[in-house]
Amino acid sequence: MSTISIKNLRKTYGPYVAVDDLTFEIPDACVFGLLGPNGAGKTTTFKCMLGLARATSGSVLYDGAPLVPETLERIAYVPERSVLYEWMTVGEHIEMQRRAYRKFSVARARELLAQFGIDLRKKARALSKGMRTATMVALAIARESDILILDEPTSGLDPINQRHVLNLIINESARGATVIFSSHQIGQVERAAERIAVIDRGRLALEGNVDDLKADRKIVEGILPSETFALNGLAGDPHILRLDRNGRIVRAVTSSDAGEVLAKFEALGASGLRIVDLNLEDIFLYAVSPADATADVVEGH
Amino acid sequence: MNYVEWLRVRNALRVTAICLGISIVVALVVRISIAAQFGSTHDIVNRLGAEKDTVTTHSVVDGFNRTTLTNAREHTVVVIEDQADGSKIIQITEPGNSAHSNSVSMGPVRVSTSESGGVEKTTIETNRPVPFGIYAAIAAVIALIIATVLGAPFAKENDGHLEIAFLKPVSRTNNALGVVLADCVGILVAEVMTVLAFAIMQAFFEVPHFDFSGINSTAILLAIALPFSWYTFLNASTASLKRGAGAVVGLAWPAAFVSIALAGLNLGTSIAGQTFHTIFWSISRIFPLTYVQFEGHDNDLSSLGPKLMTTAAILTGLFLVYGALAVVQWRRVEA
Repeated sequence: MSTISIKNLRKTYGPYVAVDDLTFEIPDACVFGLLGPNGAGKTTTFKCMLGLARATSGSVLYDGAPLVPETLERIAYVPERSVLYEWMTVGEHIEMQRRAYRKFSVARARELLAQFGIDLRKKARALSKGMRTATMVALAIARESDILILDEPTSGLDPINQRHVLNLIINESARGATVIFSSHQIGQVERAAERIAVIDRGRLALEGNVDDLKADRKIVEGILPSETFALNGLAGDPHILRLDRNGRIVRAVTSSDAGEVLAKFEALGASGLRIVDLNLEDIFLYAVSPADATADVVEGH
Repeated sequence: MNYVEWLRVRNALRVTAICLGISIVVALVVRISIAAQFGSTHDIVNRLGAEKDTVTTHSVVDGFNRTTLTNAREHTVVVIEDQADGSKIIQITEPGNSAHSNSVSMGPVRVSTSESGGVEKTTIETNRPVPFGIYAAIAAVIALIIATVLGAPFAKENDGHLEIAFLKPVSRTNNALGVVLADCVGILVAEVMTVLAFAIMQAFFEVPHFDFSGINSTAILLAIALPFSWYTFLNASTASLKRGAGAVVGLAWPAAFVSIALAGLNLGTSIAGQTFHTIFWSISRIFPLTYVQFEGHDNDLSSLGPKLMTTAAILTGLFLVYGALAVVQWRRVEA
């Protein structure tokens, strides 16, 4: 239904560069996870995509065309923090959406809010943080939009409602909508997203299909005979993306042939050798902070 | 599309309606409490006729009741004529000793006295047409309060709701104009409500009818232009603010009054005095309230007409300029 192209996107606030030369594409009907540490530029990227913030340079195209007011009929957005009007009831928020968007389904909104256990007569100020998030998610999904952008959509929700939101996201994708979401819960992203992009300090650190990224990368680790043992030639090995050493422990992140790297470690006299699969959290941590990531991997396995 | 703003307008009008409703109830209570003391010709006759040697006669002249009270001892004659519209004309003739002629109007009542040849004649006319300018002035005051309440719509959106306001499938300009339209309609409705409420209150005492002639029609324009320009002034002052808009709106009134007062000060002919006067005068021009000063016209309302029209034109201009400034700022706001 809609392909989104982000090209050389840059956004600065005075001297601060929030997003820098960001380029990636979000395919049609895809669940796309946008990951990054706090302050990486995820929300700014969303704001630039939606025209809420003006890009300093670069472009965001929807099916090859820039954003115009009419495009917003097809996009639903759930921001990270509550933007509900404190003095309005949930029911009035439904009415507001109904008047603003042609495809908004009041029945669907009521159904979703009932599933979350939210009373339509309650004012937004009376809702908890999680209930506000749930309300915004319900209102966005009831839009039946082509593109759904969710910034931390499970923030403040209990585990049951987190799972419910995740299922709604997957259902939206099954309906044919393009879903873009960010979350600090990488397990959720791993469960729902087909593709991910990792942003770090405003720049694209990694982008690709989740399964491909996981299949492409392995960690080979072992214990060297001594702390001063020389790793002759390993650092320059084309199969090794990164080599870390911590005392006698050595770890190599490999791009493809982990067995070959394992053989090289063995030839060096390393013991306790093993190959570890990376999960999305490892990939994320490796992308945004490689040294810490490998340390975590060792502890985790 | 501007549902939220209409809700804000509705809430403001609801409070206005409550306040006006309370005023109506108070007026009703006052009317009931004084009903026994004032009102019918019978009451007046009872009071005046209680004087010694007073003779009361009733007649019908041109279809209207006429009551005449004559006190020969005091050389006083009181004639009360009931008019078709429910009003009365009361004419009092009594001895006088200083030649004069005076006329005072207050709302629907006009009292005129004249003395000639040792006889003083006082005519009291009740329920005359009320100059609508009075109603317009009262409505303008209420509308200014509503304009102040609604005065920072863009700042309210800017304070955490841009993701809703800016993601509607409509251009920012149209969105902004819709908001301004909603608020202006709200201000106008508040004025109409005020006029109706005061008409109801007046109706408790007499049949209300209005004089729209002369400056009264111009006063209506002014009563609309003033709150509208005040509203867009506040809007333009706050459109770019995320927080603190309430403080700006709250301080706008005292700032306007202080600047107007300082602009009116005579600071002497020294360079410093002239400079300060120029600065204060210039600052005061920013505030729409500055243009609504009509000193020196108390006894010559007819000469006020052109000035009212000029003021209305200036305020309309300010409304448009400030409105445009607010919309331009709104277009540039980022979340």
